[in-house]
Amino acid sequence: MTPTLLGRWHTRLILFFFIGLPVTFLYAWYLSAWGLSNEYTLAWPFSEVWLRLPPVELSIFQDPFKFLFALLIVGLILDVGYIQIQRFHWDQDWPFAYQFFFSWVEFFLVFYAMDFGFLDFMFPDGRIPFSTAIWHFTWVFIPSFIGVLALIQIFLVRWRFKGGELGRHPIR
Amino acid sequence: MPIEISWQHSGRAERRTFDGRGPFRIGRSQNGDVVLDHPQVSRLHVEVTVDGASVRIEDKGSQNGTRIDGRSVTSATWSQGEALQIGPFTLRYGWVAAQVELSRVEPAPAPRAERRTPADEPDNAAAGGGRAQFPGALFEGRTVAMAAIKASGKLAAEIEYLAIGGGCGSFCWVDHLRIYGVSASAIRVLGVAPDKSPYAKWGRLCRVSQIPEHERIRSNSISTPDNIWGFPGYASREFVRDVVHGRMVGFKHILQVFGEPVLTESYTPRLGDVFKSFDVEAKRIGWDQMWVHGQVVSIRKTDDERFVVAYRVPNEFAPGAARADRERFMVARYLQLATGYPASNFLPDLQDFKRAHPDVSAVVNAYEEHDEIYRSLEQKGGTVLIRGRGIVASRVLQRIFEARIKNPNIRVLHLNRSAVTEGAKYDLARRPVRADVQQQPFNWPKACWGGTLRKLLEDSAPEQRSELMKVWGGTTTADRDDWNVIIEQGLRDGWLKSFYGSVQSMNYQNGQVVTRLEGREKFQESVDLVADYVVDCTGLVARLDETPLLADLTRIYDLPRNKVSSGGAPESSLAGLAVTNAFEVAGMQNGRGRVWAAGVVTANGPYAAVDSFLGLQYAALRSVDQLGVLRAPGVSRFGPLRSLGQWLRWCTGRSPS
Repeated sequence: MTPTLLGRWHTRLILFFFIGLPVTFLYAWYLSAWGLSNEYTLAWPFSEVWLRLPPVELSIFQDPFKFLFALLIVGLILDVGYIQIQRFHWDQDWPFAYQFFFSWVEFFLVFYAMDFGFLDFMFPDGRIPFSTAIWHFTWVFIPSFIGVLALIQIFLVRWRFKGGELGRHPIR
Repeated sequence: MPIEISWQHSGRAERRTFDGRGPFRIGRSQNGDVVLDHPQVSRLHVEVTVDGASVRIEDKGSQNGTRIDGRSVTSATWSQGEALQIGPFTLRYGWVAAQVELSRVEPAPAPRAERRTPADEPDNAAAGGGRAQFPGALFEGRTVAMAAIKASGKLAAEIEYLAIGGGCGSFCWVDHLRIYGVSASAIRVLGVAPDKSPYAKWGRLCRVSQIPEHERIRSNSISTPDNIWGFPGYASREFVRDVVHGRMVGFKHILQVFGEPVLTESYTPRLGDVFKSFDVEAKRIGWDQMWVHGQVVSIRKTDDERFVVAYRVPNEFAPGAARADRERFMVARYLQLATGYPASNFLPDLQDFKRAHPDVSAVVNAYEEHDEIYRSLEQKGGTVLIRGRGIVASRVLQRIFEARIKNPNIRVLHLNRSAVTEGAKYDLARRPVRADVQQQPFNWPKACWGGTLRKLLEDSAPEQRSELMKVWGGTTTADRDDWNVIIEQGLRDGWLKSFYGSVQSMNYQNGQVVTRLEGREKFQESVDLVADYVVDCTGLVARLDETPLLADLTRIYDLPRNKVSSGGAPESSLAGLAVTNAFEVAGMQNGRGRVWAAGVVTANGPYAAVDSFLGLQYAALRSVDQLGVLRAPGVSRFGPLRSLGQWLRWCTGRSPS
């Protein structure tokens, strides 16, 4: 990939809205309705849970969204640094290996920031346990990575020529 | 090498080009090769014979005699620059530059008057000897009346979209048009490939520059001229095919795409796979139905906001048809020019050598047919001098390495102007150097295609563009493990040796080519390199003016050209047609009618990597997007849903419409 800074931001926002939010919605719903302590956890989604549709616990439901939002903000800030790293490459590119690696760097940054209490203002009712967070991120990361590898360009044919920016090229 | 004789005739400059030894007859007779109609000229006045670089004249008993630079002669050598005086006429001659044959079919040679002109002659291009021929007086002005075109009886078709060239650039444009919604009946493609293949010329250049079909080309997985989305790329396709056949090597391609270029060598597709993908897509979009065999001669604006294209159907595609019946017009609202590499000249010292030894085939440009050299090396062994570094030199070296397996009696002298001590520097990065050549995966830094450098170049002023491209471009090769090993082995085992210097002269002695290097600063003695063969890998020396079609177009419409900064590889010194960032040819707008260009004819403009698959796709995308904005018939705006729908059609092999 050869992203520009604006392209990084645009792409991050596309992934946030079209992959991050829907996946987080499903995950948060699952967590809050049949939370980790719930007896149906392992059986989901093959059990009869769909029929029961228990009420959602709002505080648990909100947590994954907060975590995702923190990831987005950290990512948007780090993008400025990534562009600087690209300048050290003759090709000014961003190998998929970097994309993979730094995605996880972002996750661990946000997780430990939360775990060390820096994000307590966002999580007043308690921090998210590691196993929950890493599963959440895994479910967001896999389709997002496939998104930059392949999915986005199927819908947005100009995206790969604009360094990840949305929209059309100006005519002149 | 062809000779071009020029003279003045009733105030008009005339010229004729002759190929071969002659003798060529000059006289008053209409049957002569050069007709000088004047009472002071005898019927058959003089005969001219060409022998290598030497030109002789013989007075055939003329009444008023013949003079060279004022002295009377009957039989003499006529040197270049000397004036041959016959009656009131003064004749001079020049050599038409030897050119690397870039395409197999070169039918209907350009009107001679528009070829290279000797420096000491006034340029008569405006008079246009070619104008006397098709399309003649009709095309004398800047605008042609539709009524006149119709009256000519030569109008073959009126359509919306016309692609001129018929090669990879045309293909990408037509592919985009079809996928954006235009029906095949609204599109025509003019080209000269006998089998209508979009990759005929490119494939031939690959083959002669020693890339067999199983070899990998210097292109990326997502540079897919058969697929406008770049997905699935060649790597995924190769992965699937390998895994289906139980070959675990398939995973290597996926890992390459994941790790390139930092953790692994960059993935590159096989030439044969690219050919096949072209064929499949050509069939899907109905390429053959849109194809028209024709060599485009000239283009003009019409008086109804369109363009008229004069073309000639090569003899072989209209057997038996008279010349006049093979001359036709096509009228279209939207044109795309993608004629590819203009004819390419040999380096000056190779020109000299070819002129002096026209029959010696031991000195070649790597883009010429020269397989015979490797066959001969495999049988008899010998010494090869490779001139220049870069991707083609790497290929040739690889081919020689393969020949050495059959015959170890092959040695290579590698000649370059100077050693490469450090790579180019740009921003915070420096291009790596290995084995005396700068290395990068592709011919430009990757960000030139769609990243930061693409944006920067588009936003830059023309002078800055030229400077930037000088730094980013230049002679490079790919960092391929097999090539690195060949060089290391060659240097270690002593069959490969590097030399540096400028060539002073090339001579042919005892069946060998002697290349003399100039003395340098403190070492004034010149050095001779003796080799059985010389393969020039320094690149193509191309000028747009060498292509009659483009020369005519730029002259008639005063089309602006891109600025070129000196230095860099020869092929990067081409001053292409100035185009907008959307690849529209500035100055060709005719009301609603528009002309776009793609490929190397736009070299040194707003986009660096024009001469690549991805670059051709980018040019196509930009121009067809503009067609969408202009509400051209059939062209959609191509939003996300249409894109997905068309992609699914591609995947299932269904026609776009």
